[in-house]
Amino acid sequence: MPETNLTDYGNATRWSVSPDFTAKVFAGIGVDRYTRAGSALGTVCVAWNAAGVSAIRLASDEHGFEVWYADRFGRRVVPAIEDDPISSAARAKLHGEDVDVPVDLRDCSPFEQRVLHKAAEIGRGSARPYAWVARELGTPDATRAVGNALGRNPVPLLIPCHRVIRADSSAGGYVFGTDAKRELLEHEGLDFGALESVARRGFRFIACDVGYFCLPTCGNVATHVDEPGYRGLRTAEEAHACGLVPCKMCRPIAA
Amino acid sequence: MAIACAIGPPDRDELLAGALARDLDAAFERLVIAYRARIVTFVARMLRDDARAEDVAQDVFVRAYHALQTYPPERRAALRLRSWLYAIAHNLTRNTFRDAPPPSDPLDYDDGTPRVAVLDPQPDPETLVLREEAWASVGVAISELSPALRPAFVLRYVDELSYDEIAQTLEQPVGTVKASAHRGLLAVRAHLEKNDA
Repeated sequence: MPETNLTDYGNATRWSVSPDFTAKVFAGIGVDRYTRAGSALGTVCVAWNAAGVSAIRLASDEHGFEVWYADRFGRRVVPAIEDDPISSAARAKLHGEDVDVPVDLRDCSPFEQRVLHKAAEIGRGSARPYAWVARELGTPDATRAVGNALGRNPVPLLIPCHRVIRADSSAGGYVFGTDAKRELLEHEGLDFGALESVARRGFRFIACDVGYFCLPTCGNVATHVDEPGYRGLRTAEEAHACGLVPCKMCRPIAA
Repeated sequence: MAIACAIGPPDRDELLAGALARDLDAAFERLVIAYRARIVTFVARMLRDDARAEDVAQDVFVRAYHALQTYPPERRAALRLRSWLYAIAHNLTRNTFRDAPPPSDPLDYDDGTPRVAVLDPQPDPETLVLREEAWASVGVAISELSPALRPAFVLRYVDELSYDEIAQTLEQPVGTVKASAHRGLLAVRAHLEKNDA
């Protein structure tokens, strides 16, 4: 058998590697990687490691991003050469696709993690008040702490902290600025004009004649307030008096 | 892209070593990408345990990183990366060998993990079948080589290192590794001919 035949066998035995091979090596050396990705707010830096996406920030200043990252997480972050399943999923989600993306929230306290997981439940085109998140977590007095936790969200856009707004339907604070928050929510279909009009008239809930009542920020229900079959309510008692039940999606009052 | 493809392994290694000397963290992914498939293959051959090959290969890179951290930049820049990495892999597989015996069934290759073809992203199905068969028969032949012949044979005929590089990797004289690789080749050939007959 001539030697060239064995070289063919040699090529045949070349191994290939799992898609997360490099991420596991980088987990072993304690360095994270980041890439640039398009989003509704323009180009962002997306940092990730074997556990998931660890940080998202606007990409205006990459050096600043690396310094901020090392300061907050105590690990170095370097520009990635290759995408892997986690960064590809993040890229797709930031592009608007409905995919699951693992996130690394190890830097957050248990309470912050619960707040962020709750925020992640709020669907596109909807919003919820800060106080709603506090109530849902069983800590109705912790509205300010909810705001602080959302403000420390390491992965904005992936965890949609921008969908938590103030009780008067104004946008409230955001890591990328209040204007960006409002822009994002409008881009997702929320109608601030309708919400403000409802708030001005003192309506806290919207009733539907099919038998339930909602928060004005539940989907686009605020835009229907003056249509037949809908009306504004000032108190939960009004709803009860009409025999309405709370919407199961937005859970407008404490259970 | 075309330029990058035209650069052969020695030149590429020089560039890579230079990049590692300038900024280890930023250049390290290039080292992993350049060598992961080769190191996993080598480890799998040496351990006769494909399921653990990736874990051990990851450990090879982690150790390489920590070693590079301790080297001054001029030493990193002067490194002969290929034989240096294989030497780490060789030492680590030797240790792992001692820790746990290889599985008794050398045919038990697939751990079910989906793999990404790094070198040839879209081979046609027929090629894949042929490769699987070649892979299996050569794999058995290699797994039957004695521990004395296997490293030299794998480095020469699977990883295609030069005898100089193999001698460096195994810390043996060139004459010894030439002889081991050749004896390994004869043994593998005999095994394949026996199976073809």
